[in-house]
Amino acid sequence: MVDIGLFTQIVINGLLLGGIYVTIGVGFSLAFGVLEVVDFAVGEYVMVGAFMGAVLAPLFGAEGVFVIPIVLVVFFAVGALIQPLIHHVTTGDRPHPLLMGLVFTFGLATFLRGSVLTIFGPNSQDVPSSLLTGGIEVPGLGTFPVVRTVTAVFGVTGLAVFMYYLYRTRGGMAIRAIAEDRTNARLMGININRYQSIAYGAYAALTGSAGVFIGMTFNASPGMGLQYTAFAFFMVVLAGMGYLPGVIVAGIVLGLTQSFTAVYISGNAVLLVLFAIIYVVLLVSPAGILGKGEWAT
Amino acid sequence: MPRKHDDRRTFLKSVGAAATTVGLAGCAGLGGGPERDTFLLGAVTSLSGDLRFGGGVTQRGYDMWADTINREQGGIEIGGDTYEVEVEYADAQSNPSAGADAASQMINDGADALLGPYSSNVTLSVCPIAEQNSIPHITGSAESPQIWQEGYEYSFGTIPTVSIIGNEATSALLNLEPQPESVYVTGVNEPFSEATAVSMRTAAEDAGVTVENYELFPRDTDYTNVVSAAQNADPDLHLHGGHIGSHVDLVSAASQLGYTPNGFLMHYGVNTGSYKEGAGAQAPYTFGATVWIPSVDRSGGVLFDSPQAYADAAEAAYGSAPDYTQAGSTAAGIVYQEALKELNAAPPLSQDDKDELIGILEEIEVNTFYGNVTFEVGGEYHHNNINTQTLLIQLGEDGSPTIVGPEDAATGEPNYPVPAWDER
Repeated sequence: MVDIGLFTQIVINGLLLGGIYVTIGVGFSLAFGVLEVVDFAVGEYVMVGAFMGAVLAPLFGAEGVFVIPIVLVVFFAVGALIQPLIHHVTTGDRPHPLLMGLVFTFGLATFLRGSVLTIFGPNSQDVPSSLLTGGIEVPGLGTFPVVRTVTAVFGVTGLAVFMYYLYRTRGGMAIRAIAEDRTNARLMGININRYQSIAYGAYAALTGSAGVFIGMTFNASPGMGLQYTAFAFFMVVLAGMGYLPGVIVAGIVLGLTQSFTAVYISGNAVLLVLFAIIYVVLLVSPAGILGKGEWAT
Repeated sequence: MPRKHDDRRTFLKSVGAAATTVGLAGCAGLGGGPERDTFLLGAVTSLSGDLRFGGGVTQRGYDMWADTINREQGGIEIGGDTYEVEVEYADAQSNPSAGADAASQMINDGADALLGPYSSNVTLSVCPIAEQNSIPHITGSAESPQIWQEGYEYSFGTIPTVSIIGNEATSALLNLEPQPESVYVTGVNEPFSEATAVSMRTAAEDAGVTVENYELFPRDTDYTNVVSAAQNADPDLHLHGGHIGSHVDLVSAASQLGYTPNGFLMHYGVNTGSYKEGAGAQAPYTFGATVWIPSVDRSGGVLFDSPQAYADAAEAAYGSAPDYTQAGSTAAGIVYQEALKELNAAPPLSQDDKDELIGILEEIEVNTFYGNVTFEVGGEYHHNNINTQTLLIQLGEDGSPTIVGPEDAATGEPNYPVPAWDER
């Protein structure tokens, strides 16, 4: 017999976990949609963001949440600087541009992980979050952990802001034009390098900031990146490559599947179930759950 | 133009020289390798990869022994002469197969004996290499019972198996008042953590306490689900086997969901800096298990006068407080030192010397700052030093551990039941 209290709590856990994944999936999906880069470094941006929270917050005597503006600015600047390098290795006469992008970002991921290990050592670091401790108990439903709820809200807000920018501003229109057809966009007078740098910078900023939230939820650890890279891939495939609204659905499916499998089947079966879902989606609906990803066009 | 018999003479000379060289090399091999005036210990540990933190702990432990004996005694005294100790490291890369390769490399380099790796997984791959090459191997850091149940003749361990540590720490916790009636047992799905969780479950079952659930999870699981299921079962105690990262994730999720059993017992590493840094404000009041901390009341011993003297020396050398893994690693060196003295053979050791050393190790009893070290022979945990006392510790508000059990070893009162998260 299913315990209703436990069941509703698992739903809450799954939704909030999905919210955490949304924060990562949004930027990753944007990078793929606009830049056509499968960014292997996404998980390491999360990790570096978490470490920035762990270092900067105590340095300023502040909570992790208050250093997010700094992280946003730093990551945007770094992302905008890295993008031309990615553009350089994925364009021109080079064969297999997608593979070149993968190799480049894989190297970047290895570099970031190695640097953090060398500087901070292998230990986990706490990201101060005393303002976001504990949970909000809703009678009849369950407990909403504050830090996870705030993280999920951040992810959904980030997605909304991206969507507004892409579909309601001239800059967003330019980015969509680039995603549609680079050559035509260039002929229309769009500064491709500039908008690609903006898009990659925004992706890096959002992902790095998500890292601070994830650091507050769990902790900052040099080995944490790989799992988020794997989940980002999962999200984008499930959402449909480059289809931003699908990210929310993918995040919820990922979070709920993980939670229900862990509690009602076995914690050891989580990855098995998740990848079974991926394979089924790839076979049945390669354009994602909603059928609106890039592969459908 | 050279004459034919000249060529034959040159050939014969060459063959003779080669045969002499091979023969001399063979004699040298029988004698234990090239001449050396130091004892060469080959240390296999993880200097890179995920286990780098633990590898560094063992390295500090081994270095602490070698540096101290070389500095204070000039090395090991054999027949009136002293021979310095040299510890040469090979990186196991946190990987069992790389660990086996590293052990082979140390043996090829002519090591007199091996010092073992961090983690049970890697140790399980090094033990067969030591066995095949008939070389003594003492590890200061490996707790899986499987290592000792295999019955290896050339491998020894100074840290007792987790089957004992986990069981005894749980038993001590179950004796606290109010006595718990139910426990919830979780662990990470890998050999050491599973053995820990099993030992905790066994202790609870033996004490007649209800085990609400026992489950293993992958390392990267989301602990909110583990905690939600545990919270629903409402146990008196939560017992968890794993490494430090999983402990941190568990208490973080517990504080977020307001899950407060009367106490959390977690093993390994609760009293390490890594746990305190990672868990932050959630670290206080956690129960843990150890066989040694600096405040253990003990005096006398080879090389270091007391646990505190060792801790002070380690802090001065490395700037961090030692835990029992580091202490056990130093104790492994001390055991070698005393066994080599008894063997009374100068380096390099011959194969006969190494075989004789095994016999000495089986009978040795060494009084160290870490405790009396003796190895079980022929029992369930063959060659494991099970002659230790497990201590139940609890972290205080400042993160420092206090021994709270068993009763005859306690140095302070436990804070039990632990306060709820919002009352801390």
